[in-house]
Amino acid sequence: MGFEQILANGIVLGTLYACIAIGFSLVWGVLNVINMLHGSFIVLGGYLTYFAWAYTGVSPVLVLPVVAALLFGLGYGLQYLFINKVVSAPVLTTLTLTFGLDMILYNLMTVYFTATPRRVSMEFGRVEFLGVVMPVDRLIGMGLALALTALLFVVLRTSRIGRAIVAVRMDREAAALMGIKVNHIYAVTFGIAALMAGAAGSVFAMVFPVTTNLSGVFLGKAFVICVIGGLGGVSGALVGGLALGIIESFAGVLIGPQNAITIGFVLMLVLLIVRPQGLVGVKGYE
Amino acid sequence: MTPTKRITALSAALAAAALGTAASAEDVIKIGAPLALTGGLADEGHKQELVWKMWTDKVNAAGGIDVGGTKMKVEIVEYDYQTDGKRAGQLAEKLINDDEVDVLMAPFGSGHTKIVAAVAERYQIPLVACVSSSVSVYDQGFKYLFGTLAPNTGMTEAMVAEFKAKMPELGTVAIYGRDDVFPKSMATATSDSAKSGGLEVVYDELYPVGAIDHSAALSTIKSLEPDWIYMTGYTQDLILGRKQMQDLGIEAPIITMVTGPAYKEFTEGLGELADGVTSSTWWHHAAGYTDVAGAWSSTDAFYQDFLEASDGEDPDYVHGSCAAALDVVADAAGRAGTLEPAAMRDALAATDLETFYGPIKFGGNGMNQGREMPIIQVQGGGIKILYPANIADAEMTLLD
Repeated sequence: MGFEQILANGIVLGTLYACIAIGFSLVWGVLNVINMLHGSFIVLGGYLTYFAWAYTGVSPVLVLPVVAALLFGLGYGLQYLFINKVVSAPVLTTLTLTFGLDMILYNLMTVYFTATPRRVSMEFGRVEFLGVVMPVDRLIGMGLALALTALLFVVLRTSRIGRAIVAVRMDREAAALMGIKVNHIYAVTFGIAALMAGAAGSVFAMVFPVTTNLSGVFLGKAFVICVIGGLGGVSGALVGGLALGIIESFAGVLIGPQNAITIGFVLMLVLLIVRPQGLVGVKGYE
Repeated sequence: MTPTKRITALSAALAAAALGTAASAEDVIKIGAPLALTGGLADEGHKQELVWKMWTDKVNAAGGIDVGGTKMKVEIVEYDYQTDGKRAGQLAEKLINDDEVDVLMAPFGSGHTKIVAAVAERYQIPLVACVSSSVSVYDQGFKYLFGTLAPNTGMTEAMVAEFKAKMPELGTVAIYGRDDVFPKSMATATSDSAKSGGLEVVYDELYPVGAIDHSAALSTIKSLEPDWIYMTGYTQDLILGRKQMQDLGIEAPIITMVTGPAYKEFTEGLGELADGVTSSTWWHHAAGYTDVAGAWSSTDAFYQDFLEASDGEDPDYVHGSCAAALDVVADAAGRAGTLEPAAMRDALAATDLETFYGPIKFGGNGMNQGREMPIIQVQGGGIKILYPANIADAEMTLLD
């Protein structure tokens, strides 16, 4: 099998991985909260997309903005009502809180949606270019993932709310003194992270079967990607995701799929030792 | 009511309740069941729960089971172990020590059964497993463990022979299995059976639990152009695997997914893509047994009751095997004439029963022996039985 095919598989997988990690990275970097809810947010986004498709036939691409908006509301509410109460407590406290909230959300989904894998069975076909075969749905997913990442990048760079998020990340007290409503900005940040997770769920519903079982898998991937790529910016998730996707793709072929995931974790451990801020992370956010 | 009167009334009520419990406890067979009612295996846990409720309702309505001249009702004491193996073991201990159950039923899957089996063996309480088929669970020398599924190896040898008969030019097979107790043992067994059956195994790899992408492995398989692709895993893995095969343009005359098509979720999740996929299963409701012992006198009687209980859903092998497992317990209790664990254990070991699910007779390691398990194929969205010949209802079709 050609080098190009392995690389292409890795790049497409990598952008999907980036899409998983971006919201997680944002919350971790800005709020210093390890959001255990993240995997379940993605699964919830996937389910909402699936049900919208199954009952109304609307394409996941069109449902995506609605799902993203709903998840934003959910994320904003959770942060404003619960997590803000303990946001300045040590990281273990917020981790425990989000862990508890995750158990509630995860089990509610299992009870009401069941763990049965469901798939948006739209066949988009595949394209072949220079001997490389690529499924169209993954390419659409990749396009959406890149678009969302770019959008977040622009929002953080240019909008007032984006600059406020960055300001709060840099110095909470100083930002508050400048008139920024810190609690509101926290909630907006968490909302944006949930929005990105929901959008990722919509993208994934086209590519993978949706089941609550995947919640922990998504969370684990997000964690590894953030450590590899680094926190503090949108680029960290993108670089981390691509690195993990490409490494897993090559490792899967060269040393067998069974060991591919291990390689990702080994890379994570090595980076923690030699470059704790990640490949492109900003020093001080690790 | 004055406080004194209130206390007297309360005491009387409590005493009555205590007496009631004591009286009924003697006439009840208590069966303990740690079930995965939430978490990753929740679907499977609910299947077990459903058929056990059907079974107890039916048997209790008919007066219960005759144990040594006393008609006893059956009560299932269940706890949700949240798909956490360690918790399943803890709850098995609770069921034995606090609830004082007479018999335990194992949870779904070989991995969790293994954990509960170790607990049951320690306390010497009979354990009947209905969804565990890996020999590694039964070859630990446990005396109190019995399983209604048959060993994996019988399934794979029959499959190799059957496929070679249908496609004489069959020469190469790619095997891709999930690194988990049951899927791994099926992949290993198939690899061994394929080699001993004269096939060349061109790819033989496992993927880790939690894999969400198979493109690397499938791209390699594509370049090897095998005649037969054999993939094992749970439904979500297999749906993804089949879809990625299509996405990457992988074609083979035979694609087998174990146990994919045995579950309705697989065919529903894949739609037309499921067509032509073969599999093997321990039981299918199309395999009709009649005039049998147990709560249902025929497979059809069970099927009709099941349709009613499940609002028209079809049963799969989990439902069949687990309902029949309670027939085994009832039969053993009847023959033992007591609920004493050692006597129950001996009666279970001597089981030789024809049920709606098929024959059940335990071998030396506690596994159900001597069943010919059906090979199935998805044809036109439905499940057809290809083997064994006496219950087959279709000819195998090749994919290309």
